[in-house]
Amino acid sequence: MIRREAVGIVARHMGDDPAVSANGFISRDLHGVLDRGSNFYMIGSMGLASSIAAGIAIRNPKRRVFVLDGDGNLLMNLGSLATIGSMKLNLVHVVFDNRAHESTGGQPTAAGRVDLGKIAMAAGYKTHYARTGAELDNVMKRAARAKGPIFVLVRVRTGGEKSGRVAIAPGDIRRRFESSL
Amino acid sequence: MHRKGVTDFVGVPDSTLKHFIDEGLGRKKILIATREEEAIGIAAGMSMSGGTPLVFMQNAGLANSISTITSLVRMYEIPMILVVGWRGYLRDDAPEHLAVGRIQQRLLRLAGVTSRIMTEENWRERCDWALDSARSGRPCALVVRRMFHD
Repeated sequence: MIRREAVGIVARHMGDDPAVSANGFISRDLHGVLDRGSNFYMIGSMGLASSIAAGIAIRNPKRRVFVLDGDGNLLMNLGSLATIGSMKLNLVHVVFDNRAHESTGGQPTAAGRVDLGKIAMAAGYKTHYARTGAELDNVMKRAARAKGPIFVLVRVRTGGEKSGRVAIAPGDIRRRFESSL
Repeated sequence: MHRKGVTDFVGVPDSTLKHFIDEGLGRKKILIATREEEAIGIAAGMSMSGGTPLVFMQNAGLANSISTITSLVRMYEIPMILVVGWRGYLRDDAPEHLAVGRIQQRLLRLAGVTSRIMTEENWRERCDWALDSARSGRPCALVVRRMFHD
């Protein structure tokens, strides 16, 4: 499965819940498949998608907050798993794992040799794995009913259809997002 | 600060700010993050949710956070209050603090964060200034000088 297809499947399950998408191709894909005000597209500040989502979840305890993250992004901010797991925040933390820093040229990450799902589990998440579109669809259906924090590790391959840049000004991304909450 | 409208206190401990942090922990108002960038990320989410967050850290953590300040806080114009413990203010502080201590005020200015030094005498007025800045949508910093040795 390519990442854009996986992002599309996750987006179908988000309802009107807020979502924070990691910088690089993930935000571009989300913008390409489902643009809406309740998407906070990150540009820069790599690694912090889950932290921003944690802040949203703390202030909005009745909402479920989606995080669309990458393996390289998560490895940059592993500490956030401990913070989120220890606070039992209601997040659905989806990691699109291509085992590479694709937007900088495909350099490998440690995700190929380390099970990120087990790290999340040890931090207090419920972990699900998905390798195909059908598996991901099933996992997301279950995740939508369960209480967070939930970790979904989706294996995707590098390459595939490229989404364009997010052409919305950062201040507008924020203002749209704030009024959607 | 809490009485006047700060909704959340997030950060990484600093010995200069120890009494402030202990007071907050005692009142269960404080969230300890793993790194300063994480704390700023959490505060950004809180700020966009209508809160007025305060992020505390040592200046070593400010140096860690420059890119997060420029590409998250400044770029998206997300208001928050930083409280920074100024290690290396005394020229005979521990050696690991001296370099950042020397450039800290310039770092804040270059990163586009307006700052004020807060003392025992002026803290009420400085806190009001910080809250006004945050309410009018501007990130700002209160700096606490480390005037003693361990």
